[in-house]
Amino acid sequence: MSSATKASRIGEELWKTRVDKVNAELVTLTYGTIVAQLCQDYDGNYQDVNKQLEKMGYNIGMRLIEDFLAKSNVGRCANFRETADMIAKVGFRIFLNIAPTVTNWTSDNNQFSLVFDENPLADFVELPDDGRAQDELWFSNILCGVLRGALEMVQMQIEAHFVSDVLRGDDTTEMRVSLVRYIEDEMPPDEE
Amino acid sequence: MVVYSFYIFDRHAECIYKRRWLPRPSSIVGSKSSRPTSEASAPATGPPAVLGQSARTTDDDAKLIFGTVFSLRNMARKLGGEDDNFVTYRTNQYRLHYYETPTNTKFVMLTDIKSPSMRVALQQIYINLYVEYVVKNPLSPTEHPGGVGVNNELFEESLEQFVTRVLS
Repeated sequence: MSSATKASRIGEELWKTRVDKVNAELVTLTYGTIVAQLCQDYDGNYQDVNKQLEKMGYNIGMRLIEDFLAKSNVGRCANFRETADMIAKVGFRIFLNIAPTVTNWTSDNNQFSLVFDENPLADFVELPDDGRAQDELWFSNILCGVLRGALEMVQMQIEAHFVSDVLRGDDTTEMRVSLVRYIEDEMPPDEE
Repeated sequence: MVVYSFYIFDRHAECIYKRRWLPRPSSIVGSKSSRPTSEASAPATGPPAVLGQSARTTDDDAKLIFGTVFSLRNMARKLGGEDDNFVTYRTNQYRLHYYETPTNTKFVMLTDIKSPSMRVALQQIYINLYVEYVVKNPLSPTEHPGGVGVNNELFEESLEQFVTRVLS
């Protein structure tokens, strides 16, 4: 898998040279506070919390991609497989210092899974014991939004959702990412 | 070398920033009606903004420039493959420099014809000014519907400095 190893090398290099580091606990606690506040604001309606997290992520992703491009100076990916490696080995690496595994491709190469061995957002986290959070809340759902926002900026419409989470007692944390379509260039609106 | 003007277009083909360094000669702006219309509308492929042969507004200039780079870029891609991109073109009067990011944000700069390639300069404006001051400002909008545009003092000041100090 040359595209994956190439991406790993780029990610490694950028992480060492171009990235400002911040304290991991600061990130974990900040994110945890956001989720906790949302749970309170939506009165324990976890579907709405998931939705809101995704939306926040979307807005982050649209900005983050520009920073990603400015830092990495990589060009457009040739195909969706290359995109997946770029996300996992460069994107996640420079922003969270993790490199989820890309796996479970469908035969048409339009869907894959990211399996997270570690997840800095969820350190110290235990889902509330209210009998519903375990089944309804996707704690790290902001990441789905980040991917959707970032890829939309580079002309890919995607859909992303978590299918399992160790916080819920699953064996792995897995996100499913599907390519919906490539977005065409927009033309200026016609006048007169 | 002289920089005439600078434009940024976002992925929705919206001109989100424009800046001109040379004023349009006032005598030309005022004398619109005396010109035969055929002559004014003939060079539809984007004559130099600085020369202002007709009574175009800066908005019109931006649209013409967008049309020009958009078509040129698409033709360059048809001929040279998906990854190809045009970098600059030159007329008798000016040179246009072009840089496009993977997010389809387009940076355009018009300079005099003697200027060297500005591709690296445009890339630096993107990386060091646009991303730093505009994109990373959490309170500035990510999209600019209706052409609100980049309205950011830090960005404008640094661009001014970059152009006057670095480029001249």
